[in-house]
Amino acid sequence: MSRSPGLRVLDALEGVRATLWPRPLAPLTPWAFLVPALLLTGLLVAALVPLADASLRQLDRATFRLDESWSLANYAAVLARPVYGVMALRTLGGALIVTAVTLLLAFPYAWLMVRTARPALRRLLLISLFLPFFIGQVVRAYGWLVVLGQQGLANSLLAALGLPPLTILYTFPGVLVGLVQYMLPFAVLMLAPALTAVPEEVELASAGLGATPLRTLWRVVLPLARPGLVAAGVVVFTLTLTDFAMPEIMGGGTNDFIASAVYDAFFQLGDPGLGGAIAILMTAVGSLAVGAVLALFGLGTLGYVEERR
Amino acid sequence: MSRGWLLWLLVGLVVLDLAFLALPTLVVLIASFTPGTIIAFPPEGLSLRWYAALLDRPDFLRALWRSLLVGLVCTALAVPIGTLAALALARFRLRGGTALQVYLLLPFTIPLVVSGIGLMLVFGQLGWLGRVWPVGVAACVINLPFMIWAVAAAVNHLDPDLENAAQSLGAPPTHAFVTVTLPAVMPGIVTGALVMFILAVNEFLVSLMLVDARTVTLPVLVYNAIRSIITPDLAAVSAVYVGLALVAILLLDRLVGLDIFLRSRKS
Repeated sequence: MSRSPGLRVLDALEGVRATLWPRPLAPLTPWAFLVPALLLTGLLVAALVPLADASLRQLDRATFRLDESWSLANYAAVLARPVYGVMALRTLGGALIVTAVTLLLAFPYAWLMVRTARPALRRLLLISLFLPFFIGQVVRAYGWLVVLGQQGLANSLLAALGLPPLTILYTFPGVLVGLVQYMLPFAVLMLAPALTAVPEEVELASAGLGATPLRTLWRVVLPLARPGLVAAGVVVFTLTLTDFAMPEIMGGGTNDFIASAVYDAFFQLGDPGLGGAIAILMTAVGSLAVGAVLALFGLGTLGYVEERR
Repeated sequence: MSRGWLLWLLVGLVVLDLAFLALPTLVVLIASFTPGTIIAFPPEGLSLRWYAALLDRPDFLRALWRSLLVGLVCTALAVPIGTLAALALARFRLRGGTALQVYLLLPFTIPLVVSGIGLMLVFGQLGWLGRVWPVGVAACVINLPFMIWAVAAAVNHLDPDLENAAQSLGAPPTHAFVTVTLPAVMPGIVTGALVMFILAVNEFLVSLMLVDARTVTLPVLVYNAIRSIITPDLAAVSAVYVGLALVAILLLDRLVGLDIFLRSRKS
Protein backbone atom coordinates (compact mmCIF):
# COMPACT_ATOMS: atom_id res chain seq x y z
CA MET A 1 0.00 0.00 0.00
CA SER A 2 1.48 3.35 -1.00
CA ARG A 3 1.34 6.13 1.56
CA SER A 4 0.52 9.77 0.90
CA PRO A 5 3.38 12.33 0.92
CA GLY A 6 2.09 13.80 4.16
CA LEU A 7 2.20 10.44 5.86
CA ARG A 8 5.69 9.82 4.55
CA VAL A 9 6.86 13.06 6.15
CA LEU A 10 5.32 11.90 9.41
CA ASP A 11 7.00 8.51 9.02
CA ALA A 12 10.33 10.25 8.54
CA LEU A 13 9.73 12.36 11.65
CA GLU A 14 8.77 9.25 13.58
CA GLY A 15 12.01 7.61 12.37
CA VAL A 16 14.05 10.56 13.64
CA ARG A 17 12.23 10.41 16.96
CA ALA A 18 12.76 6.66 17.32
CA THR A 19 16.49 7.09 16.72
CA LEU A 20 17.07 10.15 18.88
CA TRP A 21 14.53 9.35 21.58
CA PRO A 22 14.07 5.57 21.84
CA ARG A 23 11.19 4.02 23.77
CA PRO A 24 13.11 3.53 27.07
CA LEU A 25 13.48 7.33 27.28
CA ALA A 26 9.70 7.85 27.00
CA PRO A 27 9.18 8.52 30.73
CA LEU A 28 11.60 11.45 30.39
CA THR A 29 9.64 13.04 27.54
CA PRO A 30 7.92 15.71 29.67
CA TRP A 31 11.28 16.75 31.09
CA ALA A 32 12.75 16.99 27.59
CA PHE A 33 9.80 19.24 26.68
CA LEU A 34 10.55 21.45 29.71
CA VAL A 35 14.32 21.79 29.33
CA PRO A 36 14.32 24.68 26.80
CA ALA A 37 11.94 26.76 28.97
CA LEU A 38 13.92 25.94 32.11
CA LEU A 39 17.17 27.01 30.40
CA LEU A 40 15.68 30.20 28.99
CA THR A 41 14.29 31.18 32.40
CA GLY A 42 17.68 30.16 33.79
CA LEU A 43 19.09 33.20 31.96
CA LEU A 44 17.21 35.33 34.50
CA VAL A 45 18.69 33.38 37.40
CA ALA A 46 22.10 33.84 35.80
CA ALA A 47 21.33 37.55 35.50
CA LEU A 48 20.89 37.76 39.28
CA VAL A 49 24.35 36.31 39.96
CA PRO A 50 26.51 39.29 38.88
CA LEU A 51 24.08 41.65 40.63
CA ALA A 52 24.27 39.70 43.89
CA ASP A 53 28.04 39.56 43.59
CA ALA A 54 28.35 43.29 42.95
CA SER A 55 26.01 44.05 45.84
CA LEU A 56 28.56 42.48 48.21
CA ARG A 57 31.48 44.60 47.00
CA GLN A 58 31.94 48.23 47.97
CA LEU A 59 32.94 50.77 45.36
CA ASP A 60 36.37 52.29 45.89
CA ARG A 61 35.76 55.96 45.08
CA ALA A 62 39.47 56.53 44.31
CA THR A 63 39.78 53.91 41.57
CA PHE A 64 36.07 53.41 40.73
CA ARG A 65 36.54 49.65 41.07
CA LEU A 66 34.66 47.24 43.26
CA ASP A 67 36.38 45.75 46.32
CA GLU A 68 38.10 42.38 46.08
CA SER A 69 36.51 41.22 49.32
CA TRP A 70 32.84 40.82 50.23
CA SER A 71 31.04 42.98 52.77
CA LEU A 72 27.50 44.09 53.60
CA ALA A 73 28.51 47.76 53.36
CA ASN A 74 26.23 48.45 50.36
CA TYR A 75 23.19 47.06 52.17
CA ALA A 76 24.04 49.12 55.22
CA ALA A 77 24.36 52.20 52.99
CA VAL A 78 20.96 51.60 51.36
CA LEU A 79 19.23 51.12 54.71
CA ALA A 80 21.00 54.17 56.19
CA ARG A 81 19.94 56.62 53.48
CA PRO A 82 16.52 58.15 54.17
CA VAL A 83 16.07 58.97 50.48
CA TYR A 84 15.71 55.25 49.69
CA GLY A 85 13.29 54.77 52.58
CA VAL A 86 11.08 57.58 51.25
CA MET A 87 11.21 56.08 47.76
CA ALA A 88 10.42 52.58 49.06
CA LEU A 89 7.43 53.87 51.03
CA ARG A 90 6.15 55.86 48.03
CA THR A 91 6.50 52.74 45.86
CA LEU A 92 4.80 50.46 48.35
CA GLY A 93 1.97 52.92 49.03
CA GLY A 94 1.54 53.54 45.31
CA ALA A 95 1.42 49.81 44.59
CA LEU A 96 -1.24 49.24 47.26
CA ILE A 97 -3.44 52.11 46.02
CA VAL A 98 -3.02 51.10 42.37
CA THR A 99 -3.87 47.46 43.15
CA ALA A 100 -7.02 48.38 45.08
CA VAL A 101 -8.28 50.89 42.50
CA THR A 102 -7.42 48.62 39.56
CA LEU A 103 -9.26 45.64 41.06
CA LEU A 104 -12.29 47.82 41.80
CA LEU A 105 -12.35 49.08 38.21
CA ALA A 106 -11.50 45.73 36.62
CA PHE A 107 -14.08 43.58 38.39
CA PRO A 108 -17.27 45.10 36.90
CA TYR A 109 -15.61 45.20 33.46
CA ALA A 110 -14.63 41.53 33.59
CA TRP A 111 -18.00 40.51 35.04
CA LEU A 112 -20.01 42.29 32.34
CA MET A 113 -17.68 40.97 29.61
CA VAL A 114 -18.18 37.39 30.78
CA ARG A 115 -21.90 37.60 31.63
CA THR A 116 -23.41 39.78 28.90
CA ALA A 117 -25.76 37.99 26.51
CA ARG A 118 -25.01 40.53 23.76
CA PRO A 119 -22.14 39.48 21.48
CA ALA A 120 -21.71 43.05 20.21
CA LEU A 121 -21.19 44.41 23.73
CA ARG A 122 -18.73 41.63 24.52
CA ARG A 123 -16.74 42.47 21.36
CA LEU A 124 -16.70 46.15 22.24
CA LEU A 125 -15.41 45.36 25.72
CA LEU A 126 -12.76 42.94 24.38
CA ILE A 127 -11.48 45.31 21.69
CA SER A 128 -11.43 48.28 24.10
CA LEU A 129 -9.36 46.13 26.42
CA PHE A 130 -6.88 44.82 23.86
CA LEU A 131 -6.22 48.11 22.11
CA PRO A 132 -4.42 49.68 25.10
CA PHE A 133 -3.01 46.29 26.18
CA PHE A 134 -1.28 46.01 22.80
CA ILE A 135 0.07 49.58 22.97
CA GLY A 136 3.17 49.80 25.12
CA GLN A 137 3.66 51.74 28.31
CA VAL A 138 5.83 54.47 26.81
CA VAL A 139 3.34 55.30 24.08
CA ARG A 140 0.46 55.34 26.56
CA ALA A 141 2.45 57.59 28.89
CA TYR A 142 3.00 59.92 25.94
CA GLY A 143 -0.78 59.91 25.42
CA TRP A 144 -1.26 60.98 29.03
CA LEU A 145 1.25 63.80 28.58
CA VAL A 146 -0.88 65.08 25.71
CA VAL A 147 -4.05 64.76 27.81
CA LEU A 148 -2.71 66.20 31.05
CA GLY A 149 0.07 68.56 29.95
CA GLN A 150 0.00 72.35 30.44
CA GLN A 151 -1.54 72.92 26.98
CA GLY A 152 -3.16 69.51 26.97
CA LEU A 153 -6.71 68.37 26.42
CA ALA A 154 -7.77 68.55 30.07
CA ASN A 155 -6.52 72.09 30.63
CA SER A 156 -7.91 73.30 27.29
CA LEU A 157 -11.33 72.00 28.37
CA LEU A 158 -11.01 73.64 31.79
CA ALA A 159 -9.92 76.93 30.23
CA ALA A 160 -12.90 76.82 27.84
CA LEU A 161 -15.16 76.45 30.88
CA GLY A 162 -13.40 79.33 32.59
CA LEU A 163 -11.88 77.11 35.25
CA PRO A 164 -8.31 77.29 36.57
CA PRO A 165 -5.79 74.80 35.10
CA LEU A 166 -5.23 71.46 36.75
CA THR A 167 -1.80 70.35 37.88
CA ILE A 168 -1.80 66.57 37.91
CA LEU A 169 1.15 65.85 35.66
CA TYR A 170 4.42 65.46 37.57
CA THR A 171 2.56 64.70 40.81
CA PHE A 172 2.05 61.45 42.73
CA PRO A 173 -1.65 61.16 41.73
CA GLY A 174 -0.61 61.69 38.12
CA VAL A 175 1.75 58.71 38.31
CA LEU A 176 -1.05 56.62 39.83
CA VAL A 177 -3.48 57.56 37.03
CA GLY A 178 -0.99 56.34 34.43
CA LEU A 179 -0.29 53.16 36.37
CA VAL A 180 -3.96 52.23 36.89
CA GLN A 181 -4.65 52.68 33.19
CA TYR A 182 -1.61 50.54 32.36
CA MET A 183 -2.60 47.75 34.78
CA LEU A 184 -6.34 47.61 34.01
CA PRO A 185 -6.08 45.21 31.01
CA PHE A 186 -3.77 42.85 32.94
CA ALA A 187 -6.27 42.70 35.80
CA VAL A 188 -9.31 42.12 33.57
CA LEU A 189 -7.50 39.36 31.64
CA MET A 190 -6.61 37.62 34.91
CA LEU A 191 -10.14 37.98 36.30
CA ALA A 192 -12.14 36.92 33.25
CA PRO A 193 -11.25 33.18 33.21
CA ALA A 194 -11.99 32.95 36.94
CA LEU A 195 -15.42 34.57 36.47
CA THR A 196 -16.16 32.23 33.56
CA ALA A 197 -15.51 29.36 35.94
CA VAL A 198 -18.29 30.63 38.23
CA PRO A 199 -21.49 29.14 36.75
CA GLU A 200 -24.14 31.76 36.07
CA GLU A 201 -26.68 29.33 37.58
CA VAL A 202 -25.08 29.85 40.98
CA GLU A 203 -25.75 33.59 40.76
CA LEU A 204 -29.32 32.98 39.58
CA ALA A 205 -29.92 30.44 42.34
CA SER A 206 -28.71 32.90 44.94
CA ALA A 207 -31.05 35.57 43.58
CA GLY A 208 -33.88 33.03 43.30
CA LEU A 209 -33.45 32.18 46.96
CA GLY A 210 -34.05 35.81 47.79
CA ALA A 211 -30.55 37.20 48.20
CA THR A 212 -30.11 40.85 47.24
CA PRO A 213 -27.69 41.49 44.36
CA LEU A 214 -25.19 42.94 46.84
CA ARG A 215 -25.43 39.84 49.02
CA THR A 216 -25.02 37.57 45.99
CA LEU A 217 -21.95 39.57 44.93
CA TRP A 218 -20.43 39.53 48.41
CA ARG A 219 -21.24 36.00 49.53
CA VAL A 220 -21.26 34.07 46.23
CA VAL A 221 -19.49 35.74 43.30
CA LEU A 222 -16.50 37.30 45.05
CA PRO A 223 -15.56 34.17 47.05
CA LEU A 224 -15.87 31.96 43.97
CA ALA A 225 -13.86 34.41 41.88
CA ARG A 226 -11.05 34.46 44.45
CA PRO A 227 -8.48 32.66 42.25
CA GLY A 228 -8.83 35.43 39.67
CA LEU A 229 -8.78 38.22 42.25
CA VAL A 230 -5.62 36.78 43.80
CA ALA A 231 -3.88 36.41 40.42
CA ALA A 232 -4.93 39.88 39.27
CA GLY A 233 -3.89 41.41 42.59
CA VAL A 234 -0.50 39.72 42.54
CA VAL A 235 0.24 40.71 38.96
CA VAL A 236 -0.86 44.34 39.39
CA PHE A 237 0.94 44.71 42.71
CA THR A 238 4.28 43.30 41.53
CA LEU A 239 4.20 45.11 38.19
CA THR A 240 3.47 48.42 39.96
CA LEU A 241 6.01 47.80 42.69
CA THR A 242 8.75 47.44 40.09
CA ASP A 243 7.59 49.90 37.44
CA PHE A 244 10.03 52.37 35.95
CA ALA A 245 8.56 54.13 32.91
CA MET A 246 5.31 55.54 34.36
CA PRO A 247 6.88 57.19 37.44
CA GLU A 248 9.74 58.49 35.26
CA ILE A 249 7.50 59.95 32.55
CA MET A 250 4.35 60.90 34.47
CA GLY A 251 6.33 61.97 37.55
CA GLY A 252 8.98 63.81 35.58
CA GLY A 253 11.66 62.84 38.08
CA THR A 254 9.75 64.26 41.06
CA ASN A 255 8.04 61.02 42.11
CA ASP A 256 10.49 58.24 41.28
CA PHE A 257 9.72 54.68 42.31
CA ILE A 258 12.40 52.35 43.62
CA ALA A 259 13.21 50.97 40.12
CA SER A 260 14.62 54.41 39.27
CA ALA A 261 17.00 54.12 42.22
CA VAL A 262 18.47 50.93 40.75
CA TYR A 263 18.79 52.55 37.35
CA ASP A 264 20.34 55.75 38.71
CA ALA A 265 22.82 53.87 40.91
CA PHE A 266 24.11 52.02 37.85
CA PHE A 267 23.98 54.67 35.17
CA GLN A 268 24.30 57.99 37.01
CA LEU A 269 26.24 57.25 40.19
CA GLY A 270 28.24 54.52 38.43
CA ASP A 271 28.02 52.38 41.56
CA PRO A 272 27.10 48.78 40.65
CA GLY A 273 27.57 47.74 44.28
CA LEU A 274 24.89 50.11 45.56
CA GLY A 275 22.63 49.41 42.56
CA GLY A 276 23.07 45.68 43.04
CA ALA A 277 22.11 45.95 46.71
CA ILE A 278 18.89 47.86 45.91
CA ALA A 279 18.14 45.38 43.10
CA ILE A 280 18.57 42.36 45.36
CA LEU A 281 16.52 43.94 48.18
CA MET A 282 13.76 44.84 45.73
CA THR A 283 13.69 41.33 44.26
CA ALA A 284 13.64 39.78 47.73
CA VAL A 285 10.79 41.96 49.03
CA GLY A 286 8.72 41.42 45.87
CA SER A 287 9.30 37.65 45.83
CA LEU A 288 8.49 37.35 49.56
CA ALA A 289 5.23 39.28 49.09
CA VAL A 290 4.22 37.10 46.13
CA GLY A 291 5.33 33.95 47.94
CA ALA A 292 3.26 34.83 51.00
CA VAL A 293 0.12 35.48 48.94
CA LEU A 294 0.56 32.29 46.91
CA ALA A 295 1.24 30.23 50.04
CA LEU A 296 -1.99 31.57 51.56
CA PHE A 297 -4.26 31.36 48.53
CA GLY A 298 -2.58 29.05 46.01
CA LEU A 299 -1.52 29.98 42.49
CA GLY A 300 -5.06 30.93 41.39
CA THR A 301 -5.35 31.73 37.70
CA LEU A 302 -1.67 32.66 37.84
CA GLY A 303 -0.81 28.96 37.59
CA TYR A 304 -0.34 27.45 34.15
CA VAL A 305 -2.41 24.39 35.06
CA GLU A 306 -5.06 23.61 37.60
CA GLU A 307 -3.59 22.78 40.97
CA ARG A 308 -4.13 19.31 42.27
CA ARG A 309 -4.74 19.10 45.96
CA MET B 1 -33.36 51.85 47.75
CA SER B 2 -34.19 50.31 44.40
CA ARG B 3 -32.83 46.89 43.59
CA GLY B 4 -31.22 48.23 40.43
CA TRP B 5 -28.66 50.52 42.05
CA LEU B 6 -25.91 47.89 41.97
CA LEU B 7 -26.51 47.38 38.25
CA TRP B 8 -26.28 51.14 37.67
CA LEU B 9 -23.07 51.31 39.67
CA LEU B 10 -21.72 48.48 37.54
CA VAL B 11 -22.70 50.18 34.28
CA GLY B 12 -21.27 53.47 35.54
CA LEU B 13 -17.94 51.90 36.40
CA VAL B 14 -17.73 50.11 33.04
CA VAL B 15 -18.45 53.33 31.14
CA LEU B 16 -15.75 55.04 33.20
CA ASP B 17 -13.39 52.16 32.38
CA LEU B 18 -14.11 52.43 28.66
CA ALA B 19 -13.39 56.16 28.63
CA PHE B 20 -10.30 55.73 30.77
CA LEU B 21 -8.92 52.93 28.58
CA ALA B 22 -9.56 54.78 25.32
CA LEU B 23 -8.57 58.33 26.31
CA PRO B 24 -4.78 58.31 25.67
CA THR B 25 -5.17 56.34 22.44
CA LEU B 26 -7.86 58.61 21.01
CA VAL B 27 -6.05 61.77 22.01
CA VAL B 28 -2.81 60.57 20.42
CA LEU B 29 -4.65 59.74 17.20
CA ILE B 30 -6.23 63.19 17.09
CA ALA B 31 -2.90 64.85 17.89
CA SER B 32 -1.16 62.95 15.09
CA PHE B 33 -3.22 64.92 12.54
CA THR B 34 -2.09 68.28 13.95
CA PRO B 35 -1.34 70.72 11.15
CA GLY B 36 0.98 73.01 13.17
CA THR B 37 4.13 72.44 15.16
CA ILE B 38 2.39 72.30 18.54
CA ILE B 39 -0.48 70.10 19.66
CA ALA B 40 -3.57 72.20 20.38
CA PHE B 41 -7.13 71.45 21.50
CA PRO B 42 -9.48 71.77 19.76
CA PRO B 43 -7.35 70.80 16.71
CA GLU B 44 -6.81 73.63 14.23
CA GLY B 45 -7.34 71.36 11.26
CA LEU B 46 -6.29 68.08 9.79
CA SER B 47 -3.00 67.28 8.16
CA LEU B 48 -0.89 64.27 7.33
CA ARG B 49 2.36 66.26 7.48
CA TRP B 50 3.68 64.41 10.55
CA TYR B 51 3.12 61.04 8.92
CA ALA B 52 4.94 62.26 5.81
CA ALA B 53 7.71 63.57 8.06
CA LEU B 54 8.18 60.08 9.54
CA LEU B 55 9.02 58.65 6.13
CA ASP B 56 11.88 61.16 5.87
CA ARG B 57 13.37 60.07 9.17
CA PRO B 58 15.83 57.19 8.74
CA ASP B 59 16.29 56.92 12.52
CA PHE B 60 12.56 56.23 12.94
CA LEU B 61 12.41 53.72 10.08
CA ARG B 62 15.47 51.85 11.38
CA ALA B 63 14.11 51.76 14.91
CA LEU B 64 10.77 50.44 13.62
CA TRP B 65 12.56 47.74 11.63
CA ARG B 66 14.66 46.76 14.69
CA SER B 67 11.56 46.50 16.86
CA LEU B 68 9.85 44.26 14.28
CA LEU B 69 13.00 42.11 14.23
CA VAL B 70 12.93 41.91 18.03
CA GLY B 71 9.31 40.77 17.77
CA LEU B 72 10.17 38.09 15.22
CA VAL B 73 13.13 36.70 17.21
CA CYS B 74 11.05 36.66 20.39
CA THR B 75 8.12 34.89 18.72
CA ALA B 76 10.32 32.37 16.91
CA LEU B 77 11.83 31.34 20.25
CA ALA B 78 8.67 31.52 22.32
CA VAL B 79 6.45 29.37 20.08
CA PRO B 80 8.39 26.08 20.30
CA ILE B 81 9.78 26.64 23.81
CA GLY B 82 6.53 27.80 25.37
CA THR B 83 4.38 25.22 23.57
CA LEU B 84 6.53 22.28 24.69
CA ALA B 85 6.67 23.59 28.26
CA ALA B 86 2.90 24.08 28.39
CA LEU B 87 2.30 20.56 27.03
CA ALA B 88 4.67 19.09 29.61
CA LEU B 89 3.04 21.00 32.48
CA ALA B 90 -0.56 20.47 31.49
CA ARG B 91 -0.30 16.93 30.15
CA PHE B 92 1.78 15.03 32.68
CA ARG B 93 1.66 14.72 36.42
CA LEU B 94 5.19 15.86 37.12
CA ARG B 95 6.91 15.44 40.43
CA GLY B 96 7.36 18.95 41.85
CA GLY B 97 4.84 20.43 39.43
CA THR B 98 4.02 23.42 41.64
CA ALA B 99 7.70 24.22 42.16
CA LEU B 100 8.18 24.09 38.37
CA GLN B 101 5.27 26.46 37.87
CA VAL B 102 6.67 28.89 40.42
CA TYR B 103 10.11 28.72 38.76
CA LEU B 104 8.57 29.41 35.36
CA LEU B 105 6.78 32.44 36.88
CA LEU B 106 10.16 33.97 37.86
CA PRO B 107 10.00 36.44 34.94
CA PHE B 108 7.07 38.02 36.82
CA THR B 109 8.57 38.08 40.27
CA ILE B 110 11.97 39.44 39.27
CA PRO B 111 11.57 43.19 38.66
CA LEU B 112 12.10 44.19 35.03
CA VAL B 113 14.74 46.76 35.92
CA VAL B 114 16.68 43.99 37.71
CA SER B 115 16.24 41.54 34.82
CA GLY B 116 17.33 44.25 32.41
CA ILE B 117 20.55 45.22 34.19
CA GLY B 118 21.35 41.57 35.01
CA LEU B 119 20.85 40.50 31.39
CA MET B 120 22.98 43.48 30.31
CA LEU B 121 25.83 42.15 32.49
CA VAL B 122 25.37 38.54 31.26
CA PHE B 123 25.03 39.53 27.60
CA GLY B 124 28.09 41.75 28.02
CA GLN B 125 30.11 38.71 29.13
CA LEU B 126 28.80 36.76 26.14
CA GLY B 127 29.67 39.61 23.75
CA TRP B 128 26.02 40.02 22.72
CA LEU B 129 25.59 43.72 23.44
CA GLY B 130 25.16 46.20 20.59
CA ARG B 131 23.14 43.75 18.48
CA VAL B 132 19.42 43.54 17.91
CA TRP B 133 18.64 39.82 18.18
CA PRO B 134 19.67 39.49 21.86
CA VAL B 135 16.94 42.05 22.64
CA GLY B 136 14.50 39.53 21.14
CA VAL B 137 15.94 36.79 23.37
CA ALA B 138 15.49 39.05 26.40
CA ALA B 139 11.92 39.94 25.41
CA CYS B 140 11.18 36.21 25.14
CA VAL B 141 12.65 35.46 28.56
CA ILE B 142 10.66 38.14 30.38
CA ASN B 143 7.34 37.43 28.62
CA LEU B 144 7.48 33.63 28.35
CA PRO B 145 4.71 33.14 30.96
CA PHE B 146 2.20 34.65 28.49
CA MET B 147 3.08 32.00 25.89
CA ILE B 148 2.85 29.16 28.41
CA TRP B 149 -0.50 30.45 29.74
CA ALA B 150 -1.99 30.68 26.26
CA VAL B 151 -1.00 27.14 25.26
CA ALA B 152 -1.68 25.58 28.67
CA ALA B 153 -5.23 26.97 28.54
CA ALA B 154 -5.73 25.21 25.20
CA VAL B 155 -4.20 21.96 26.50
CA ASN B 156 -6.45 22.05 29.57
CA HIS B 157 -9.43 22.08 27.21
CA LEU B 158 -8.08 19.23 25.10
CA ASP B 159 -9.69 15.86 25.70
CA PRO B 160 -6.85 13.46 26.57
CA ASP B 161 -8.93 10.60 25.13
CA LEU B 162 -8.27 12.00 21.64
CA GLU B 163 -4.55 11.31 21.90
CA ASN B 164 -5.17 7.97 23.58
CA ALA B 165 -7.57 7.01 20.80
CA ALA B 166 -4.99 7.93 18.15
CA GLN B 167 -2.33 5.88 19.91
CA SER B 168 -4.54 2.85 20.48
CA LEU B 169 -5.59 2.95 16.83
CA GLY B 170 -1.91 2.44 16.07
CA ALA B 171 -0.63 5.98 15.44
CA PRO B 172 3.04 6.26 16.41
CA PRO B 173 3.74 9.02 18.98
CA THR B 174 4.98 11.55 16.42
CA HIS B 175 1.91 11.01 14.21
CA ALA B 176 -0.42 11.51 17.17
CA PHE B 177 1.50 14.64 18.22
CA VAL B 178 1.45 16.27 14.79
CA THR B 179 -2.04 15.25 13.66
CA VAL B 180 -3.99 15.33 16.95
CA THR B 181 -2.22 17.30 19.69
CA LEU B 182 -0.82 20.24 17.69
CA PRO B 183 -4.04 21.04 15.77
CA ALA B 184 -6.02 20.85 19.02
CA VAL B 185 -3.80 23.38 20.81
CA MET B 186 -3.25 25.56 17.71
CA PRO B 187 -5.59 28.36 18.93
CA GLY B 188 -3.44 28.66 22.05
CA ILE B 189 -0.25 28.73 19.99
CA VAL B 190 -1.58 31.42 17.63
CA THR B 191 -2.81 33.52 20.57
CA GLY B 192 0.48 33.19 22.41
CA ALA B 193 2.51 33.99 19.28
CA LEU B 194 0.56 37.19 18.59
CA VAL B 195 0.74 38.36 22.18
CA MET B 196 4.48 37.63 22.37
CA PHE B 197 5.12 39.51 19.12
CA ILE B 198 3.19 42.59 20.25
CA LEU B 199 4.76 42.61 23.73
CA ALA B 200 8.24 42.35 22.17
CA VAL B 201 7.58 45.17 19.69
CA ASN B 202 6.50 47.30 22.67
CA GLU B 203 9.24 46.15 25.05
CA PHE B 204 10.92 49.16 26.61
CA LEU B 205 12.76 48.83 29.91
CA VAL B 206 14.92 45.79 29.16
CA SER B 207 15.68 47.16 25.67
CA LEU B 208 16.81 50.41 27.27
CA MET B 209 19.62 48.49 29.00
CA LEU B 210 20.57 46.33 26.03
CA VAL B 211 20.70 48.81 23.14
CA ASP B 212 23.26 51.45 22.25
CA ALA B 213 22.94 54.48 19.97
CA ARG B 214 23.21 52.24 16.88
CA THR B 215 20.62 49.68 17.97
CA VAL B 216 17.85 51.85 19.45
CA THR B 217 14.43 50.19 19.27
CA LEU B 218 11.23 52.13 18.67
CA PRO B 219 9.97 52.36 22.29
CA VAL B 220 13.41 53.57 23.40
CA LEU B 221 13.38 56.15 20.61
CA VAL B 222 9.97 57.40 21.81
CA TYR B 223 11.16 57.49 25.43
CA ASN B 224 14.27 59.50 24.56
CA ALA B 225 12.18 61.92 22.50
CA ILE B 226 9.61 62.39 25.31
CA ARG B 227 12.40 63.42 27.61
CA SER B 228 13.50 66.22 25.33
CA ILE B 229 10.43 67.95 23.88
CA ILE B 230 6.86 66.96 23.05
CA THR B 231 6.17 67.46 19.36
CA PRO B 232 3.41 66.09 17.10
CA ASP B 233 5.81 63.74 15.29
CA LEU B 234 5.71 61.49 18.36
CA ALA B 235 1.94 61.36 18.03
CA ALA B 236 2.40 60.00 14.51
CA VAL B 237 4.87 57.39 15.82
CA SER B 238 2.32 56.46 18.47
CA ALA B 239 -0.35 56.16 15.79
CA VAL B 240 1.89 53.56 14.10
CA TYR B 241 1.66 51.56 17.32
CA VAL B 242 -2.12 51.96 17.37
CA GLY B 243 -2.16 50.59 13.81
CA LEU B 244 0.00 47.60 14.78
CA ALA B 245 -2.26 46.88 17.75
CA LEU B 246 -5.37 47.02 15.54
CA VAL B 247 -3.83 44.59 13.04
CA ALA B 248 -2.95 42.20 15.86
CA ILE B 249 -6.48 42.40 17.31
CA LEU B 250 -7.99 41.78 13.87
CA LEU B 251 -5.73 38.75 13.34
CA LEU B 252 -6.51 37.42 16.79
CA ASP B 253 -10.23 37.83 16.18
CA ARG B 254 -10.13 36.19 12.73
CA LEU B 255 -7.79 33.32 13.59
CA VAL B 256 -8.99 32.26 17.04
CA GLY B 257 -11.70 34.67 18.19
CA LEU B 258 -11.16 37.15 21.03
CA ASP B 259 -13.48 35.07 23.24
CA ILE B 260 -10.56 32.68 23.86
CA PHE B 261 -9.45 35.00 26.67
CA LEU B 262 -12.75 34.51 28.47
CA ARG B 263 -12.43 30.76 28.71
CA SER B 264 -11.96 29.21 32.08
CA ARG B 265 -8.48 27.77 32.62
CA LYS B 266 -10.04 24.65 34.05
CA SER B 267 -10.94 21.80 31.76
